[in-house]
Amino acid sequence: MTQSTRREFLRTSSWAGLGLFAAAGCAPKVADFAQKPGRRVVVIGGGWGGASAAKYVRLADPSIEVILLEPNKEFVSCPFSNLVLSGVRTIESLTFNYDRLRAQGVKVLHETATMIEPEARRVRVGNDALPYDRLIVSPGVEFQWDQVEGLAAAQDRVLHAWKAGPQTVELARQLQAMPDGGVFVLTIPPAAYRCPPGPYERTCQVAWYLKNSKPKSKLIVLDANPNLVSKAALFRAAWANYPNIEYRGSNKVVKVDPGAREVTTELGDKVKYDVLNLIPPQRAGTIAVTADLVGADKRWCEVNHLTYESVKHKNIHVIGDSTIGLPVPKSGNIANAMGKICAVAVASLLNDKPVPTMAPGNTCYSWVSDREAIAVVNSYKIEGDKVVQIEQKLTPGQSEAWAQNAVGWANSIWQDMLG
Amino acid sequence: MRVTTSLLLLLAVAGPAAAGPLDTPGAPQALVCSACHGFGGQSRSNTMPILAGIAPWYFKKAIQDYAAGKRPSPEMEPYAKMVLQSGVDDIAAYFAAQARTASPVKPDDPAAVERGRAAAVQCTLCHGVSGKGDPSKGVPDLTGQPPGYLRNQMLLFKADRRSPGDEQLKAVKTLMRTIPDEQIADLAAYWSSVR
Repeated sequence: MTQSTRREFLRTSSWAGLGLFAAAGCAPKVADFAQKPGRRVVVIGGGWGGASAAKYVRLADPSIEVILLEPNKEFVSCPFSNLVLSGVRTIESLTFNYDRLRAQGVKVLHETATMIEPEARRVRVGNDALPYDRLIVSPGVEFQWDQVEGLAAAQDRVLHAWKAGPQTVELARQLQAMPDGGVFVLTIPPAAYRCPPGPYERTCQVAWYLKNSKPKSKLIVLDANPNLVSKAALFRAAWANYPNIEYRGSNKVVKVDPGAREVTTELGDKVKYDVLNLIPPQRAGTIAVTADLVGADKRWCEVNHLTYESVKHKNIHVIGDSTIGLPVPKSGNIANAMGKICAVAVASLLNDKPVPTMAPGNTCYSWVSDREAIAVVNSYKIEGDKVVQIEQKLTPGQSEAWAQNAVGWANSIWQDMLG
Repeated sequence: MRVTTSLLLLLAVAGPAAAGPLDTPGAPQALVCSACHGFGGQSRSNTMPILAGIAPWYFKKAIQDYAAGKRPSPEMEPYAKMVLQSGVDDIAAYFAAQARTASPVKPDDPAAVERGRAAAVQCTLCHGVSGKGDPSKGVPDLTGQPPGYLRNQMLLFKADRRSPGDEQLKAVKTLMRTIPDEQIADLAAYWSSVR
């Protein structure tokens, strides 16, 4: 959308002005944005949480206008993106547009929310303002570039590939271009970060690729955490098949020097690399920080466990990786569950109805080779207004059957969130 | 212009919408299922069963067996316990009330359906020629489920890894042990195609 058409939309988005077009039943696209008084929900972020929330507000009450602000034209799934590094999947197979969400009646605007005004109940989009009755913020994570010396200046060369997209493709290219005998270094930030098992799945995928394509190469994993954060025993068992992995726990990386192709750990160890994948420490997406939705830690957002309403600002709900305080991982499945629960809560609140008691669930598969997967599953309940875990269950080992279930899960949940 | 203004006024005074699809008992609690089983239980994937239109007795037995570990599944056991705690009767009634759309997943080998049709007579003794089953005998509906799901369940019966010791399942397990794995895939393809 060009600046002028965006302005036109925002200017004419008062309900009366747009109602003219809507009532006439014809006419320009801006007519779609007619607002009914008191019934507009704005969603910031079209990832796992935001897309799910936008769709399910419409399902819960089709009379509520839903506007989704998402700068990217396409959604790229982080789950399964480690398979792009090993060449098992293409990035195209993980890329989806927002057309089906639009077909659900969600108004998708490819714009960036720049500021939230809680008192005025408006979202700033550039110089324009978008009023809301309830706001759902699902901004994902932002990287704390300043936590690693030299990283801020080298953002374009030091890849995180922790938001699936061009960096994923570029890291795969660098891995393929690395000479046999080269060293691939993967660094893992301290918890909490997006997708606890993700770095260990990535370890499997890179190691699998190297074992088959560059057998003289090595993968060094520098983990800021003392041990694997998730599915430790299952990953350790899988790694028995990959003698090319050198895992070093309690090795927090504090400095990167792309010129010397070297990282330095907190202990002062210097590690040379041919290809580096540095996953930086993380906090809530920037809009959550600028809107004062984060807590005293300045990193994450505390929310009500039943409605996901911010504990800091009324009428603003926060879902997904940006939240803290629930006993859940920062995963796509959890963000999808939070999006659905929050959507029903928001629709209920806008209709002065009691909010149903709903808890999230988490199904998390990790690929340990090109054809085998492991899984961890968590279910939850509400107890005393708080989310508490009912049970966590792990697969007893790795198998192709769980990989098939992983494919079924992905196909289902992509549809659940995007229409 | 006058007409338009009247329409606008009409829009403005219209009250909250009528009950939405999530207002029925059990619907909010069933949303956790939709990540894998699709909204309203309309699974579109190959391995997750369709829950839409499922008989309540069958849904409840499955949930109870998963929760008790009789149907060993690291995925379903935690969720089954959650469903029991959040109200299995309401959730069963919600899924039963959803109109079923048959699985869109086609078998890898298109000829499998015809081969399965020729071999399916052995299933019809219990499940009926229609494959719709018989609730009075605890026999479920096979039709329209994803082929991968049907195949996996038959293989679990064959290996006695689904509800071991369940008297009701003795006959199906005995039968499955006589069927080669390739034919199990054909039967799954056929029953998935039946409407």
